[in-house]
Amino acid sequence: MWLQATLLLLASCVPSTSAIYIDEVGHIDYHHALLGLPTSQSTFFLKPSASSNASLLYTLSEGSLLGAVNPKDGSLVWRQNLSRSALPVDPSSASGLLRASEGTNALVGALGDYVSSWTALDGKLIWENWFADEAIADLELLELEDASTAPSAKDTVALFTGKAGVVRRLDGISGDIKWEYKDESGDVPLQLSSSSTEVFYIALQASARKGYRIRVVSLNPLTGLPTQQQVLSSENEVSDPKSVAFVGANTAAPVIVWSDPAYKTLKVNIIGTKKIFSFDIENTSGESIQSITVHTPKKLESLPHYLVHYETGSTTWAEVYHVDLRSSVISKAYELPRLQGWSVFSTSNKDANVYFTRITESETTVFSSASHGILGRWPHQSAPLQEAVHAVSEVVTKGDTVAVRSAATLVSGDWQLIRGGHVEWTRYEALTGALAASWVETDGTEELVHQLEVEGHESIYKAYSHRVKRHAKDLQHLPEWLKDLPKRIVTSILTDEVSNLDSFGLSKPVIVAAKNGRVYALDAGNHGSVSWAVKAAEKDTWDVKAIVAQPGSATIYADDGSSVTLDVTTGEILARSPGTTTKIRSVAVINDGSAPITIGIQEDGTPVEALDLPGFFVTQSNDGRVLGWVAKDNKTPIWQFLPPHGEKIVYATARPAHDPVASIGKVLGDRSVLYKYLNPNLALITTVGENTATFYLLDAVSGRILHTSVQEGVDTTQPIASTISENWFAYSFYADITSSSPSKGYQLVISELYESPFPNDRGPLDSATNYSSLTFLPSPHIISQGFVIPEPISHMTVTQTRQGITTRNLLCSLPSTNAIIAIPRPVLDPRRPVDRDPTSIEAEEGLFRYNPYLEFEGRWYLTHSRNVAGIKKVLSSPTLLESTSLIFAFGGDIFATRATPSQAFDVLGKGFSKLQLVLTVLALSAGVAVLAPMVRRKQINAIWKASA
Amino acid sequence: MMAAQPLNPPPPPEWVVRMNTPMPRPPKDAANIPNPPGFAKKAGGKHLAQQSSTTAAPTKPEDTDTLKLKKAWEIALAPSKQIPMNAIMMYMSGNSLQIFSIMMVFMLFKGPIQGLINTNAVFTKFETEGTRGKLLGVKAIYVVMQLVLLCLGIWKVNAMGLLPTTRSDWLAWESERQPLEPAYFAFG
Repeated sequence: MWLQATLLLLASCVPSTSAIYIDEVGHIDYHHALLGLPTSQSTFFLKPSASSNASLLYTLSEGSLLGAVNPKDGSLVWRQNLSRSALPVDPSSASGLLRASEGTNALVGALGDYVSSWTALDGKLIWENWFADEAIADLELLELEDASTAPSAKDTVALFTGKAGVVRRLDGISGDIKWEYKDESGDVPLQLSSSSTEVFYIALQASARKGYRIRVVSLNPLTGLPTQQQVLSSENEVSDPKSVAFVGANTAAPVIVWSDPAYKTLKVNIIGTKKIFSFDIENTSGESIQSITVHTPKKLESLPHYLVHYETGSTTWAEVYHVDLRSSVISKAYELPRLQGWSVFSTSNKDANVYFTRITESETTVFSSASHGILGRWPHQSAPLQEAVHAVSEVVTKGDTVAVRSAATLVSGDWQLIRGGHVEWTRYEALTGALAASWVETDGTEELVHQLEVEGHESIYKAYSHRVKRHAKDLQHLPEWLKDLPKRIVTSILTDEVSNLDSFGLSKPVIVAAKNGRVYALDAGNHGSVSWAVKAAEKDTWDVKAIVAQPGSATIYADDGSSVTLDVTTGEILARSPGTTTKIRSVAVINDGSAPITIGIQEDGTPVEALDLPGFFVTQSNDGRVLGWVAKDNKTPIWQFLPPHGEKIVYATARPAHDPVASIGKVLGDRSVLYKYLNPNLALITTVGENTATFYLLDAVSGRILHTSVQEGVDTTQPIASTISENWFAYSFYADITSSSPSKGYQLVISELYESPFPNDRGPLDSATNYSSLTFLPSPHIISQGFVIPEPISHMTVTQTRQGITTRNLLCSLPSTNAIIAIPRPVLDPRRPVDRDPTSIEAEEGLFRYNPYLEFEGRWYLTHSRNVAGIKKVLSSPTLLESTSLIFAFGGDIFATRATPSQAFDVLGKGFSKLQLVLTVLALSAGVAVLAPMVRRKQINAIWKASA
Repeated sequence: MMAAQPLNPPPPPEWVVRMNTPMPRPPKDAANIPNPPGFAKKAGGKHLAQQSSTTAAPTKPEDTDTLKLKKAWEIALAPSKQIPMNAIMMYMSGNSLQIFSIMMVFMLFKGPIQGLINTNAVFTKFETEGTRGKLLGVKAIYVVMQLVLLCLGIWKVNAMGLLPTTRSDWLAWESERQPLEPAYFAFG
């Protein structure tokens, strides 16, 4: 109690806000700036500036993020989220396209109805254009050099699908339409291709009987007028648009490649000609071919050589075809051997030469397109490599030798750069859109906690003997400890950084469950590097409902009722329980005893089983109700909350499981006490109507509505966030001017609950030690205040500390500035005096004048200069240090930091120089050692003099 | 010194002995030696008169007692003279917890408490058979005066907020009300 009181005093003495200092960046926080899984069509190496030889790796990922990665270290150079500007499109069909041309500092990306151009060096917008009701199908940069284009910018031709296929030429500088060609025939627009003189529009024409014929329309690149048209009879092979394996892009002789569904013959046509070349596919593997992929060089001046990659269940091989430009004849040049296991191919150019790179699980090999001789071979150091899906490569030649670096996208969702057989870096792109995360404890610290718990529950003598025994047992570690001691002393003196606080639980590892069924462990002590990653789900995807961490292990609950238990140090799967047929909506965790008990909640809100426990479950059902259950009975709920007609529940939240309250009252300036209304069973439910948002405060045991707050003029399409903790709740929304409210903008409302409006009054229950919600539950006295905030808040949570002594911060993720801020609670005090300066008593309490506009101060930003994008959820966890709270944000990027809402009052600061202290002590000892004999001599002399 | 002992030290010279021995008392009849002519006794007269009065006192025990009582009253009322000064000092020093105000408050407590402890010791020299009864009242007044000073200190400590007199001081001993029914949330 005294300790708490002292700490409270300490905590209240220091300023309540703290900023992140420059030397803490990267030390207390880490950030994975993610792009998402690179797509095979829109990933490439490119030299962004003609003057420099350095190239960057560009991609438009599956998450619609356009970004550039430095191939040297895998760091993100820049990124832009295209889905922000594009109209919401169906995410399953939304595949963006990214094109670039060597020598121009411009990229052109397209997503849905949105086409935009960005500078390649730094990701600045050059132009953007929207084409409503149409979706992009293909995009090409015109490589032709005519008088009408500036040499620095290349025009774009884009194919849109909508009511009809439309080909447009967009200006390279402004993005304006130069010409437009509309295909009203009703054919299925397929792709675009361009040669140096013509633009080809390829569509699929439904044939009378079955299948499709390929129709190629040549367009004049200057005017967009069709010059000629060819129809290729492909109806026997092509049954749907996916059957066309490839439409050649930007080479001297673009081709169309397709095959019959059984992959028996390969048909190739040089675009613009009538002739179809037919090749028999020699499949000697005995297995059926699963896919055919065509790889071509992407530059205009490169040799017209193509590689066709065949894949069966267990083997892969490839054939290389050459096009004779003079005679327009396609011939098979050579074949790359069939190998067991997977392999991925990529093409790269060096001037006109074309190189094919083949990556298999054991080695990387480079071939020239002209002959089948291997130019370079690098066995992988860390073989076997994880299976790759696709790769891009960059080949550098120096005399006869070649060097290659390849960025391979792995099945696991990692993006790796392989150079000379080494994995240079790995980007864990599967962490994008992580589903759940949790801090875990390794075994060591938890043992001590357990021992302390035992001591806490024993009688005083038993506890004492237990403690003596424990310390005696600890003596066996003494020699090691002594051995380490000099090193520890030296390091703690020499390094000025706040030394190792790991033993206080500041660098607990985090495990993150990704969408693709993999689980990653992030090592907080090592800049959040991935310490292990395992495929935990049996299926390709899963939906994780909860992660329950126990000392040494973590159990992950998926929506099909299955669970996986992992060892947190190695990632080894310890146990697995099979799924059930019923879908799980959420998981209730009862963490009272030694081992947590979990209960699945079905989609209709029913607990899966009845538990013989005292207590109540509060669940939410898919049809928009909140239900209360007695744990013993899972048949009928004891109460249910149905929002009024026209409203639907959008969010429900409750106080965090760990939410200790240090002081049950608020001390006012005259030292009287305003008692907090503390009820751990409060639920805050957000419902939205047509243009209203209503916040209901419920008692979860009785289902009674304690408070309702209706906000009018709310834009329900904007994010509405809410959170509840201790004796207060906060919510934010966007509201327009209404008859009752004159303010327009994003608003943050905070409400505090008190037992009574009068100080020194504990309400009707007064000093009762316990209460039952079912018999008598007093209503809270609520004080609210609203603030206008500059931007939307998409998610809210509260910092948690061990004993709740430290002031809390409201953590808000800001989607529009890609940041996370921690707003100090004293700023959000609803009792701040309105329209007047505080009286001296109020000032003593720390209240200051209310200002309706709450500006986000720079020092509140936990993310400081980092751009933390796409955050869906922010977690907070207490540490053994009362001052410090761990914060982990995921959902898009991964970001973790520490927050000290009342500053680190229990840690020696960086300004504390141990060296100086030691030196001072040494200097004083030296002084004493020198002066002592002198003083002694003087005293003896004095005695002599006195007696003489 | 120790080394010198075995040797028999020679007897000190006579001038040393004379210097170390004090002057012999002047003989009795020296007082009768008249002052040299022209030597004026200045303070002497008054001194003599006083001497004569004190020397005269023991002859009358009642007078001594009244005098002692008077003196005792003076001592008993002395703290009251400090009260205004202390009050002003305390008022001026402010209610913040600083080293000076804390030291002053400490001194304010130390004085009266010490005074109270030494109540009897202070008045012993005035205590005679005759004054014993009257001194009780004096002592009581003395104690009251010290208590007034002490009250001043308590008032000051209270003003500084160091006395647990408000509800907030006992807040830490009040505990949170526990609900009888725990609820487990699974909002997902």
